[in-house]
Amino acid sequence: METPTADDLLQFRDYSGGAPAQINVNSPTHAQGGGSGFGSGSGSGGGSNAQRQRGDPLADLIYDMSTSAQNMAGGGSNQAQNVSLDGSGGGGAGGARLSFLTIEYYQQFFNVDTYMVLERIVNSMIPKRAAGNYLRMNIGENPDLYGPFWITVTLIFSIAISGNIASYLHHASDGYHWHYNFHLVSYAATCIFLYANILPAVLWALFKYSLKPVDTADAVETDSASYTPTLLSLMCIYGYSLAIYIPVSILWVINISVLQWLLVITAALLSGTVLIAVLTPALRNSQFSLFLIIGILSAHVVLAAGFLLYFFHSPPDSPVAAATPAPVAPAAPAALKAVTEAVLANVAPGNRSQ
Amino acid sequence: MDAKLDMFEDVNTSPSLEGDMSIPGKRTTTTATSPGGVPDYNTLDEPIRETVLRDIRAVGIKFYHVLYPKEKSSLLRDWDLWGPLVLCTFMATILQGSSSADSMSDNGPEFAQVFVIVWIGAAIVTLNSKLLGGNISFFQSVCVLGYCLTPVAISLIVCRVILLAAQTRLLFFLRFVTTTMGFAWATYASFVFLGQSQPPHRKPLAVYPIFLFFFIISWLVLSHN
Repeated sequence: METPTADDLLQFRDYSGGAPAQINVNSPTHAQGGGSGFGSGSGSGGGSNAQRQRGDPLADLIYDMSTSAQNMAGGGSNQAQNVSLDGSGGGGAGGARLSFLTIEYYQQFFNVDTYMVLERIVNSMIPKRAAGNYLRMNIGENPDLYGPFWITVTLIFSIAISGNIASYLHHASDGYHWHYNFHLVSYAATCIFLYANILPAVLWALFKYSLKPVDTADAVETDSASYTPTLLSLMCIYGYSLAIYIPVSILWVINISVLQWLLVITAALLSGTVLIAVLTPALRNSQFSLFLIIGILSAHVVLAAGFLLYFFHSPPDSPVAAATPAPVAPAAPAALKAVTEAVLANVAPGNRSQ
Repeated sequence: MDAKLDMFEDVNTSPSLEGDMSIPGKRTTTTATSPGGVPDYNTLDEPIRETVLRDIRAVGIKFYHVLYPKEKSSLLRDWDLWGPLVLCTFMATILQGSSSADSMSDNGPEFAQVFVIVWIGAAIVTLNSKLLGGNISFFQSVCVLGYCLTPVAISLIVCRVILLAAQTRLLFFLRFVTTTMGFAWATYASFVFLGQSQPPHRKPLAVYPIFLFFFIISWLVLSHN
């Protein structure tokens, strides 16, 4: 990706439209020309110093090139060219941009401290706790993947483990010889990883696609309020929003149907409203914010309900599990409607003010 | 872009740099063998039995260090993956669901699933601590995590013995206590070995995945029946 080919270099020079003499000096074709390439390389020092004032990276590169050309002992520029063409590993040796093959590149996604992770987890559970510019100033500045990754892994195993405990308790009374079901881990992993990765990607694409055309005059006023998040921050927010299901999945072991459904509704609505509140700046920017809000909330509720129905209502009596969605169906949209209206009341003023 | 091209030229044309690259590797291997006891031995002349016994003894000493986690240098400095391999294969063999029983009732993990959970889990935990900025090499950490499975494996053996008797509440409680002890021991031992490699404000972030790793494996041990 970063390794320059000969064509790229030439095109790049054309773009800058600088002095034509330097095109000759720096073009790879000239360097391959023979031993005289070094002489001209060192000769370009004066010319490149003049361009260095512009402070662009290109001038630095030219400067580096001329100094290293002076240090060079023998020929072999041809050989070096080949190395740079196929070797992407050392691409980030000189600059601040790191190759995606190095571990340092990924360290920037894990640049968090303990208190920061705890803060984000708490913020994902309690509505109205985060500041209005949370998405932009906190998440957007430093999106991390530590929290989302370990929260999803923890959720997978907490659901699988407490699902097993629930089925054990279900069968404990009768003399049934209970066996644990390891396959729950695979199912939980599949659906949770899909949810935590696919949904942010879809949302990100929708945000991009449905971006409102903004006048330049308006942009000055609303710049602080509206903001389109990056894919990474969306994944970060979504990962943290799953955190509330970890304690809930442990509480689901208690086999009282009303309590379980109460937990589903509470958890989904708590973290759902946080999601909406955090994403409000981006939603304002979108043309069909209403559909997005409904989509986000319903996906969250459906996920929680799916967890409960699949993992906690014992698999042996599967016809029961298949029958249960029917009474639930009316309840969920009603609650959904209430929340969307409440949230819309928040968002709508922003819409009008634009 | 030009500069990168030049950097390569620079490296490529000066052979002294290539020599530099290989020095760290050599240095670690020489320090690894020298404090291991015998400073210089000729492995060409000695009988095979001695060679094998020496390696087995080295593995055995590491098991001992895990069970009595006081001295860290030997486990961290000359790592090997023999102990983890033995432990992991042993646990996977015992934990796998028996295929002879009817497949509907027994949904235990397959051999490969346990194997993958242990190795991939150790790799992910290690990668996590590397990404958080820990100063420990990859295989050192995998070695420590693998050897720290020893208490969990011991609790698995005890559970297996308990399972031979008829199941009662008391025996289940006994298995629960055994597994919990193995889990706590393993977590504590790996914390002793790996805890120092992280900056203090990130220590909980690095310890939590270790905790989760051993918790999951202990859960497999406890729910095996």
